[in-house]
Amino acid sequence: MLAGWVAQGNTIMIEQMPIFGGYCGGVEETTICDIATTLASFTVFHANYHLDGPIHIRWGITTSRETLQIAAHAAAAIDAHTDLLLANQYYPIAGPCTEMCLLETATQAISDTASGRELLSGSAAAKGVVQDKTTGMEARIMGEAAAATAGMKISEVNEILEKLVSGYEGNYKSAPAGKRFQECYNVKTVQPTDEYLKVYDGAVAKLRDLGLNIR
Amino acid sequence: MAAVRPLNVFDAYNRNLKGKKVTEAEWDYQIIPGNAAKLKEKYNIKFGKEIVPEDKDLKERLFQAGLEMLVTTGIYNADLGRVLTISEEEVMEGIKKTPKWLVLGENRDAVRFEPRKGNAPRKPVIQGGPTGAPVSEEVFVQIMQSYAQEAVVDTLVNGVMATIEGNGAATNTPWEIRAMMAELRAVREARIRAGRPYMAI
Repeated sequence: MLAGWVAQGNTIMIEQMPIFGGYCGGVEETTICDIATTLASFTVFHANYHLDGPIHIRWGITTSRETLQIAAHAAAAIDAHTDLLLANQYYPIAGPCTEMCLLETATQAISDTASGRELLSGSAAAKGVVQDKTTGMEARIMGEAAAATAGMKISEVNEILEKLVSGYEGNYKSAPAGKRFQECYNVKTVQPTDEYLKVYDGAVAKLRDLGLNIR
Repeated sequence: MAAVRPLNVFDAYNRNLKGKKVTEAEWDYQIIPGNAAKLKEKYNIKFGKEIVPEDKDLKERLFQAGLEMLVTTGIYNADLGRVLTISEEEVMEGIKKTPKWLVLGENRDAVRFEPRKGNAPRKPVIQGGPTGAPVSEEVFVQIMQSYAQEAVVDTLVNGVMATIEGNGAATNTPWEIRAMMAELRAVREARIRAGRPYMAI
């Protein structure tokens, strides 16, 4: 397939998700492997851009402290030495229409943006495994949090990240399951419910309180 | 030694065929963890509390460690049970050959995808979608539209249609192909409904 895509001149994205706590080991070792496989994507497999997604072996999410740290360190190290196009994908633990889901998503968007990534892809709420538990509202907060972060000082970003991650990382076991798209939107008009808009406004207010100038 | 040329897909295939034979267990349980741990020690890599690194020297050492991991360890082809190796010079030539920017989408819905360099003031490209999560065929268009209509979203990534005409879209069955074609039609319909017919998928 790859030979065909190359001959056709297609845009090629190579996806690879290192597992924190798997064969690679701890955060540092997993980051080293993440950098190695990212470079391999471009130099062995013809990637035009790379889609990362460090995932936590226990929780199956990309928004944990460890996986954020791996993704941010890998991106920052590659970004400092190359012009390669780097992306990351989103698997929060909480489901749609919950503040935790929106804050997890915003947290990763802040971290990805500050570490120099060029594309954010998501979001697969509820770990991306429950049917219809994904909606456009999660992408809205991902994009708005990224826009608000772009250009900020890294030291300020890290302070905000610390508060956000500390706020949700103790709640993985009891993470809210959230609602299906059919309960979050009017399916005929494709408009989010007032309930979801209120939850969104609450998450945005929290992010503003923490120092993120989000719209 | 200078690289002959950046590796292409045919070079990589041939190199895979001649690679060193290694069992998957040896690769997973010895080679990967062993080499990663050695390089962590060699380059003195230890993360602090920061999620996003600020230390320029740490970023330098990390890059070198990752590059050395690729060059000294290679890439495992599980189907062949062989390891492809690549030299540092070939890696650097491959990086040089990679396009520096791309255009995603067409016409008025096109977006430039280019290096930001650190935390530049320009926001990243926002690709909205379920990112492979399962989606009912009955609401597939509506779910994709919910992303396409968001002002901050630049491109789309689709979910996986859970069924097609009521049939599971299992791998290696004809339904898989039918579901994939239906997904494509549905995402195109969603971006048209959102008034962004040329948005990248």
